[in-house]
Amino acid sequence: MRIVLAKRETRSQIISTLVPIISFLVSLILGGIVLAFSKANPLDTYVYMFRGAFGNWMAFSETLVKAIPLMLTGLGVSLAFRIRFWNIGAEGQYVWGAIGTAWVMLYWQFLPVQALLPFSLLVGMTAGAIWAGIPAVMKAVWKVDETLTTLMLNYVAILFAEYLYYGPWRDPKGYGFPGSEPFPREAWLPRFLGRAHWGLFIAIIIAFILFFVLTRTKWGLEIQMIGKNPDAARCLGVNIKWGIIMVLLLSGALSGLAGGIEVAAIAHRLQKGIISGYGYTAIIIAWMSQLNPIAALFVAILMAGLLVGGDQLQMMIGLPAAMGLVIQGLLLFPLLAGTIFTEYKIRIKKTKEV
Amino acid sequence: MNREKVKSPVLRMVGITKRFPGVVANDSINLELYPGEVLALLGENGAGKSTLMNVLAGLYDPDEGEIYAQGKRVEIRNPQDSMHCGIGMIHQEFALVGNMTVAENIILGLKEIPFVPSMTEVKEKIKELSKRYNLKVNPDTFIQNMSIGEQQRVEIMKLVYRGANILILDEPTAVLTPEEARDLNRIIITMLSEGKSAIFITHKMDEVIQFSHRVQILRKGKSEAVCNTKDVTQRDLAKLMVGREVLFRIEKKAFNPGSVRVKLEHMSAEDETGRQFLKDISFEIRAGEILGIAGVAGNGQQKLAGVLIGLFPVSSGTIQINGKDMTNKPPIQMIRTGISYIPADRIAMGIVGDMSVAHNLAMKKYREEPLSKKGILHSARILSFAKQMISFFNISTPEPSTYVKFLSGGNIQKTILAREIDACRGILVAVYPSRGLDVGATEAVRKQILEQREKGSAIVLVSEELDELIAVADTIAVMSEGEIMGVVDAQTADIEELGMMMAGVRRRSS
Amino acid sequence: MKKIGLILLLLFLACSLIFAQEAKAEPFKIAFVYIGPPGDLGWTYMHDVGRKQMMDVYGDRVDVGFIESVEEGPDSARIMRQYAMQGYDAIFATSFGYMDYMHEVAMDFPDVYFEHCSGYKTADNMATYFGRIYQPRYLSGLIAGKMTKSNIIGYVAAFPIPEVVRGINAFTLGVQEVNPDAKVHVVWTNTWYDPVKEREAAIALLDQGADILAQHQDTTEPPKAAQERGKHSIGYDADMRQFVGDSVLVSPVWNWGTYYIDTVGKMLDGTWETHQFWGGLTEDAVKLSDFSPLVPQDIRDLVADKKAKIESGEWDVFNGPIYNQKGEVVVPKGQVMSDNDKLNMSFFVKGVVGRVQ
Repeated sequence: MRIVLAKRETRSQIISTLVPIISFLVSLILGGIVLAFSKANPLDTYVYMFRGAFGNWMAFSETLVKAIPLMLTGLGVSLAFRIRFWNIGAEGQYVWGAIGTAWVMLYWQFLPVQALLPFSLLVGMTAGAIWAGIPAVMKAVWKVDETLTTLMLNYVAILFAEYLYYGPWRDPKGYGFPGSEPFPREAWLPRFLGRAHWGLFIAIIIAFILFFVLTRTKWGLEIQMIGKNPDAARCLGVNIKWGIIMVLLLSGALSGLAGGIEVAAIAHRLQKGIISGYGYTAIIIAWMSQLNPIAALFVAILMAGLLVGGDQLQMMIGLPAAMGLVIQGLLLFPLLAGTIFTEYKIRIKKTKEV
Repeated sequence: MNREKVKSPVLRMVGITKRFPGVVANDSINLELYPGEVLALLGENGAGKSTLMNVLAGLYDPDEGEIYAQGKRVEIRNPQDSMHCGIGMIHQEFALVGNMTVAENIILGLKEIPFVPSMTEVKEKIKELSKRYNLKVNPDTFIQNMSIGEQQRVEIMKLVYRGANILILDEPTAVLTPEEARDLNRIIITMLSEGKSAIFITHKMDEVIQFSHRVQILRKGKSEAVCNTKDVTQRDLAKLMVGREVLFRIEKKAFNPGSVRVKLEHMSAEDETGRQFLKDISFEIRAGEILGIAGVAGNGQQKLAGVLIGLFPVSSGTIQINGKDMTNKPPIQMIRTGISYIPADRIAMGIVGDMSVAHNLAMKKYREEPLSKKGILHSARILSFAKQMISFFNISTPEPSTYVKFLSGGNIQKTILAREIDACRGILVAVYPSRGLDVGATEAVRKQILEQREKGSAIVLVSEELDELIAVADTIAVMSEGEIMGVVDAQTADIEELGMMMAGVRRRSS
Repeated sequence: MKKIGLILLLLFLACSLIFAQEAKAEPFKIAFVYIGPPGDLGWTYMHDVGRKQMMDVYGDRVDVGFIESVEEGPDSARIMRQYAMQGYDAIFATSFGYMDYMHEVAMDFPDVYFEHCSGYKTADNMATYFGRIYQPRYLSGLIAGKMTKSNIIGYVAAFPIPEVVRGINAFTLGVQEVNPDAKVHVVWTNTWYDPVKEREAAIALLDQGADILAQHQDTTEPPKAAQERGKHSIGYDADMRQFVGDSVLVSPVWNWGTYYIDTVGKMLDGTWETHQFWGGLTEDAVKLSDFSPLVPQDIRDLVADKKAKIESGEWDVFNGPIYNQKGEVVVPKGQVMSDNDKLNMSFFVKGVVGRVQ
């Protein structure tokens, strides 16, 4: 008997749904082994994790709080990945979204207070879009590899934000602690359940619009063509450079919106600690959702649940913080590895006697 | 070439069946190969030739069937197993590393070689084999400095070095000049005299007659016939291969040109490094005219076609379409003038493999009504449009929603042809449209091109086959090193003269 | 339809298992939110020591949990909410950056006691606590001033916030008291806890010629870097001499146990009221560790003398005259800086080389 890995010619619907479920079970078993070795009851731990993330409305609202920026950055990254533009820069675009939003909130207060929120988010999106536009133009015009440029620009954005809240934007009443003044209370993005806020509805609406655009519009068709065969797309009259730039502007705007919403709804100021790697987690979300915008919503909630539930490892089980990260990584790994089985199939062949 | 019938076959395949989703690529095929013979495997594209040979090479696992080598039952699970049975295959795409030498390439991937091999021994053996089979291979040359023909000989060297006694060649002459093809034949004859045998895959009947002892014909995954080559004619083979009588003659209506559609004046183009790849090209094409472009591959024909649809910028001179200056306009504007383009490299340039047949068919017309309105696609209309095209152009696909990459080469070409012919509004640029196609498909392509001519389109037909150009084109321009060497009337064209111009001799002005 | 029914039933069973809450009388539940890991041998370590002392006192009456390495951002609010939702009765947050988030959570959970270390925002159910670490810092400055040979003393500092600035100033006043020629060079790391950055800053100061390093950081990296170069250091948070060696001359240390025992006691017997605790040497909230054998007796005597004055309340560190870096008088002779001015301190005194950013 031998085992053969063969590429699937077609994607079966059943496999596509079954594989993540099985991978998830494998994840639980793997994590369970490690938990058992650290003298924690795996079953209890998982129950605690689940309760911590989804156990009641308040817990779920915290999961949503974490999921909203992940949804938006995940959507942004997926969009860029659709044209094979490896945008690793969602983190930087997110930070610029936060900076842009904070700028309007803090220094445009001559605007009527009702206009402050929509206007500030718009400026945040624009800032994120521009930050993604830079590597897009470099790629489209000079063919500069985008993985490096987007990654490097993250550091620039983060350091610039630090400069702002340590320096010129530091709250004079903040006892010197790094962080801007708080935004005017009337301009905060409203919350509806615990800390969960309207950003959720914004993200859901955007996901559905994106789904429609990608599957039902001319532009969506062109995005597919650029992503899957740019040479053919060019022969067929698609403007590749323009396509890359437009997609990246939108991708950056979504990550920027994530940053803007996060400061407008949760932090209420530009501050250390708002930069916590959503832009990188977004890459995982993009992969796990297979670039499908609707799937990205659910994956983001799942991912957020894992992060929020992961707190319980410390709070309830008393595992050290590092152990929590190990378990989270371990739970993710089979999920990511599992995608191989949607692309390949395993066949067990009997070897006939010779 | 005395094949002794009494000898037992060196290789036997029994009841080989290989299924792919929606297709049976090989349907219980039997095959025998005797020592010292050349077996031609003839069939249309998608007939299952390559699949069958890939089973032998260990690249595919058959679903059913058995293989016997030297009379013994063998399991071929991977290329290593295949090698152990003495089978070696040369694919159309060579597996050579460009920046390594011949000797390095030959020992690459050899398991028996020690970690630090003695290169002197390897080189000695290569030299010896090279002499024995007249391969003319120098072990120290870098692959990247070799012509395609030389690289093919390195591939052969690789196989004989590893002790293969059954050689499988997948369309070996497709990439060769006639001279190189004759060399290859000589090499193979030498090997046969040592008791080795060869299978070669082809769809060209003249090669079968020229090179093989026996021929096995596959059609639609089934073995149609096995015969001794000397007992059959090209016409018999064509009929067996296609399944019906094939017309070798082309019906063509009288030349009746209209107004000038495409006009190039002193057009030159260069690449980023400033090297001119097209020099001072001028010609006109009128409605209802086919301008054939002849030339050895790589002499600027493809670039010329690319310039015509706006893929490459022009550095000097002008391009006029329907009387309007269209110099250096982007592809989208060229397409709006009604130009259609069949690229040379279909899979790389012509289709998006990971999208459906329906979407691929719509890729020319999705921008306008009825397939889309105000930027939004009309899915139902796209589907019905695609169904119409599939049946009209006889594209064989399981579903309109099947990804194009799963179609056979011929059907991919039909998909492109369908899209471009349907969208064609007066100008068609076709580059090697029948390359790699079998007799039936070639016939269909030529018919479509001639139909466009009758509808009054101006057509540029780039081809390497002079017979095709003479039969189809009205005028023939010959290119060499980016320049037009001369333009002749197809009806009075002389193959010899065309050959001279292809070699770079300018036509005497008459 | 049958299948759907079965699935619903299974879901119901699963949920009832998960949500089933055991209802029995529980001990008083207390949670600690830490900025670093207790293994930092510094700030968090000392809080953890205090937590354990408190647990020893109350035993079964309390159920104490903690979470480590929580970032000073929106995530900290989630952690505190989760504790509150899970029925914790009191939450101690031990870093300045948690203040706004804790304040926000405190509004939503009026029945939970909130204790924030080092901040200034309070509520009916939220108190602050901190220690006058500037007092032992001043004493350690006396030692540094006496023992420096290059007259360059390095100070690895976290954030340019009043808490840190106050410490630097107190230390420098001590140095200048005994050695007006010595200067204190400050390098900011913008982190409380980052072994790599702290070491880099320490090395930069040593390269400038510093022969004693002081710090407002939570790891033992600066003293280790100094020891590797054969230089001395002043520890912080905990008695770092235990972990590094005798090159650590002395350490101003925290002593949270006393406060934790006291305040939890009040919570247990219901006498807790909101407050702003700022305890010094007298209240036993801060201490000066034991001396390294390298510190000569005369210096020990000097320190003991000043310490007695502080403890008696007769004198405190920020008594005039105090000059700023430009040499201008900030607190005239005979006057004492108010606690409010100390809490908002944002200038450097004479003798400090560096800028409050």
